[in-house]
Amino acid sequence: MQNPIKFIALLFLCTLVSCTDVIDVDVQTDTIRLVVEASLDWEKGTTGNEQTITLRTSTPFFDTQSTDVVGAQVSVTNDVNGEVYLFTDQADGTYTTDTFNPQLDASYTLEIIYDGQSYTANDTMNPVADIIDVFQDTEDGFDDETIELHIVFNDFEAEGDNYFFKYERPQDLLPILESGDDEFINGNEVDWWFEINEDDDEEGEIKPLAPGDVVTISMHSISRPYYNYIDIVIDQLGGVGLFESTPVAIKGNCINTTNPDNYAHGYFRVTQKNTIIYTVE
Amino acid sequence: MTRRRKEKVRLRWLNLITTLTLFLSTTFLIAQESYTISGKITDIDNGETLFGASVFLEGTSIGVVTNEYGFYSISAPKGEYRLLITYMGYSDIKQEVNLNKNQQFNFEISEVSTKLDEVEVVAEESEIAVLRKPEMSVLKMNIETVKQMPVVLGEVDILKSLQMLPGVTNNGEGTGGFHVRGGAGDQNLVLLDEAIIYNTSHMFGFFSVFNADAIKDVKLYKGGIPARYGGRVSSVLDVRQKDGNSKRFAATGGIGIISSRLALEGPLFKEKGSFLIAGRSSYANLLLKAAGEDNSVGFYDLNLKTNYKINSNNRLFLSGYFGRDSFELGDTFSNSYGNSTGNLRWNHIFNDKLFSNLSVIYSKYDYKLGLTFAEFDWVSSIINYNLKYDLKYYFSDKFKLDFGASGIYYEFDPGEIKPTSETSAVNPLLLDQKKAIESGVYVNAEHKLTDKFTAQYGLRYSAFTRMGGQPMTEYENNQPVVYNSDLGIYERGMAVGETVYENGDAIKSFGNIEPRASLAYTIDDNSSLKAGFSRVAQYIHLLSNTSSATPLDVWAPSGQYIDPQLSNQYALGYFRNFKNKAYSMEAEVYYKNTDNRIDYIDGSDLIGQNTIETEILTGESRAYGLELLFRKNEGKFTGWIAYTLSKSEQRTPGGTAGGLGINDGNWYNTPYDRTHDISISGSYQLNDKWSFGTNLVFQTGRPVTYPNGQYEYEGISVASYANRNSDRLPAYHRLDLSVNYKPNKKPNAKLKGEWVLGLYNAYNRKNAASISFGQNIETGANEATRTAIFGIVPSLTYNFKF
Repeated sequence: MQNPIKFIALLFLCTLVSCTDVIDVDVQTDTIRLVVEASLDWEKGTTGNEQTITLRTSTPFFDTQSTDVVGAQVSVTNDVNGEVYLFTDQADGTYTTDTFNPQLDASYTLEIIYDGQSYTANDTMNPVADIIDVFQDTEDGFDDETIELHIVFNDFEAEGDNYFFKYERPQDLLPILESGDDEFINGNEVDWWFEINEDDDEEGEIKPLAPGDVVTISMHSISRPYYNYIDIVIDQLGGVGLFESTPVAIKGNCINTTNPDNYAHGYFRVTQKNTIIYTVE
Repeated sequence: MTRRRKEKVRLRWLNLITTLTLFLSTTFLIAQESYTISGKITDIDNGETLFGASVFLEGTSIGVVTNEYGFYSISAPKGEYRLLITYMGYSDIKQEVNLNKNQQFNFEISEVSTKLDEVEVVAEESEIAVLRKPEMSVLKMNIETVKQMPVVLGEVDILKSLQMLPGVTNNGEGTGGFHVRGGAGDQNLVLLDEAIIYNTSHMFGFFSVFNADAIKDVKLYKGGIPARYGGRVSSVLDVRQKDGNSKRFAATGGIGIISSRLALEGPLFKEKGSFLIAGRSSYANLLLKAAGEDNSVGFYDLNLKTNYKINSNNRLFLSGYFGRDSFELGDTFSNSYGNSTGNLRWNHIFNDKLFSNLSVIYSKYDYKLGLTFAEFDWVSSIINYNLKYDLKYYFSDKFKLDFGASGIYYEFDPGEIKPTSETSAVNPLLLDQKKAIESGVYVNAEHKLTDKFTAQYGLRYSAFTRMGGQPMTEYENNQPVVYNSDLGIYERGMAVGETVYENGDAIKSFGNIEPRASLAYTIDDNSSLKAGFSRVAQYIHLLSNTSSATPLDVWAPSGQYIDPQLSNQYALGYFRNFKNKAYSMEAEVYYKNTDNRIDYIDGSDLIGQNTIETEILTGESRAYGLELLFRKNEGKFTGWIAYTLSKSEQRTPGGTAGGLGINDGNWYNTPYDRTHDISISGSYQLNDKWSFGTNLVFQTGRPVTYPNGQYEYEGISVASYANRNSDRLPAYHRLDLSVNYKPNKKPNAKLKGEWVLGLYNAYNRKNAASISFGQNIETGANEATRTAIFGIVPSLTYNFKF
């Protein structure tokens, strides 16, 4: 459901706009930066000891061939008890550990040393609410004939819960991401629904949910700073139209302590999550 | 203060007043026997009063133009004169007068017949007055000129026509509002019969809220804003409705593809009054529904005006406007919004030299969103009540004085969430309602210093008080926004408490002295030089972080955390008529800077936001440019070429939040920056039946922000964006054509019809309204997608009047 008002802008466009086409545009090119995808996600009910961090480089906008970053030193520290987890370079851009010991409400610090520069980042692990029901329906959503999935959970009493959802279908190239907070729904039983609207134009084709579709849903409890980051990322995905907020540069939380101007893209997040695999009937 | 000192102070005041009086009397009351002619100028056919008609004593440089209510007053030494009345599009009138006493002359003048065999009669603007008056940076549009210009979807549009003149642009097709000299849309004061209009567009800018059939005249002040206006730093658009035909019953109307309109007018109370009622409605709704679409979009509006002449010195006017847009997406979503205004005015002529007008005005803008799928409604509104008293004193032929006062009471209701069902997961929410009072007093003199120099100078004092009745959040270190130097981003400040202000308490008050001055130097009968300065304060701000303002944007008053915008504008102009006024040329340069212009931090969230101060930083903006306008005023072919070369930029330092600010505190383009803007508009009258019109427009593309890189994250390509507004959309250009055909009717036939065939964007240019960057959902490759609103759009309209 998200902050539903945000949809309005999109809706205006869909209805009013007569013509869109893909064109060639010259864009500026920023310096190539380190990209950190350090998502320490703890599946609720597991030990969560196996974790992977991926390091790549950024690229010019239309040239998406990124380079894997190898030879970096990567470690994570639990700021509460001082435990340090070293991540092993797998020489393909990924760095792994199997000793991670997730702890709720703990703050963690990431340290990366690469190419003579040190990067550091910090995030806090928050508990995630249990999913109490998952069902499908057609009545809600934007389209009465399209199947939507409902995830029901109880938002925690205290205000300040932030959510991140990811939906994947094997037949789709790109996942669908959503973020939300409890500003308007604090303490309520929340029915969070998700629908895929048919999109069939020259840019490709997306089919709505259909019987037999297998959907992997992950629901994360995230920190507020990460919410602020991922919310802009999601807002700007797929481009920004006429009635949407003008796009802005997004900065993650990985600070370059050697040369602050050479900051890294991406984010270091620690979350607790629920994952559900649902087969549409 | 002791009694003695008080006396002293009082004496000092007395001294000052005496000196002033002496000064005034010596300057203006040079003892020569002088008499006054006053009266009204109206149209002979419909009794409409005419604004801006010039009244001159032939062979002298003594003259005035009529005010908004058609009133003039002219004083001259005793003697024999010939009075000359001229008004663009009307026949001249000459009247011999023996000025040996004060006297009244009301004139009824008639429109020039459009028959071309009477070549002698040409459209004559009171150019002499225009040259001599210090008034500059003003665009006036005759409604008939507007009606001649080709328009999209066949709907005559004042705002789109103004954009054909120098210094006025829009933000692309399908967007509302307009921009004057690089200013933002919310910096325009838009008045319809003196009532503030907060949203000037229907259907997201496809149409303007002004129904051309109900409008008498339009005046846009791009600078040199007279002291009687205040409250917006960029421009004043003063639109006046017709009074209604006081001679006979008349109807005008039009039937178009998208919408239709009808206006009825006629005399009331035995010709002591008249009325006008005009309505418009779109039927796009019906068409979409007929095409099996659940979605619908449409608008309607209603203009109303009536007046009553109590006697020759007193007249009452009542006018109103009500407009509404609606937009529905099946059962999931509905949106409606619109302006409503009402205005009661009392014109009182004290004597042949003193004219006054008292107005009581109400205006409101509101919107409602119904989000059925999420089970809640969202409503928001701004309401103001305005009391205004304006006087004009025609002191002598050399000196005229405008003065007056106004007070506006505002109520801002930024938003309320109302769950629409028991099961709605959304909690009710009411954002803090805000109240404020804006007041102003002004005095302005129009002073003929010598035969060559005329000056206009004045002063406005404006005050603004943000009233209580709401809590104000307090922040740690008094920082609503804080710079996080580690991450290099601006973040919301930490709330540490709140102060509750009771109703009647003042949260914060502001006051500003706004000097306005301009000077005209008449070089010869055909040319003049003018210079102007104006300082204007603006106390309310439209919050919008989108590429183009939407109907859902909310107004916010100045207060504890938002300071009033203050602008200074300097302008210099050269005006010249050629070939006996068959051609005219205007050239102006301007420089304007505005303090306290807000911009939004990265990731700002304005929707449902109770604490706007956590989303903004305060900076400044500046704009400068050159405007050229060359017109051909006579003949079968008339039209103009307008060219603007300009720059508009802003800078937003970190201020109390710390850090360098947006774009590292450097200047960056505002979204309204257009380096080049060329507009050519022409119309050709072939004969009685056929006429043709054309527009050609070229504009530098709008500043936008494009990506300068991308990275992979969460299985998707995330674009990283370059500095704010550091890229541009491709240049905008288009050609429009129109053909008007008036079928031959018997000369005395009551019904006069006209067909208008239009072709908007004749060469089908796909002008980008926006370009968005994203991933192809099948290949994953990044691509740029252009959104173009109008391709070639043909239209057919039938207009009639009887």
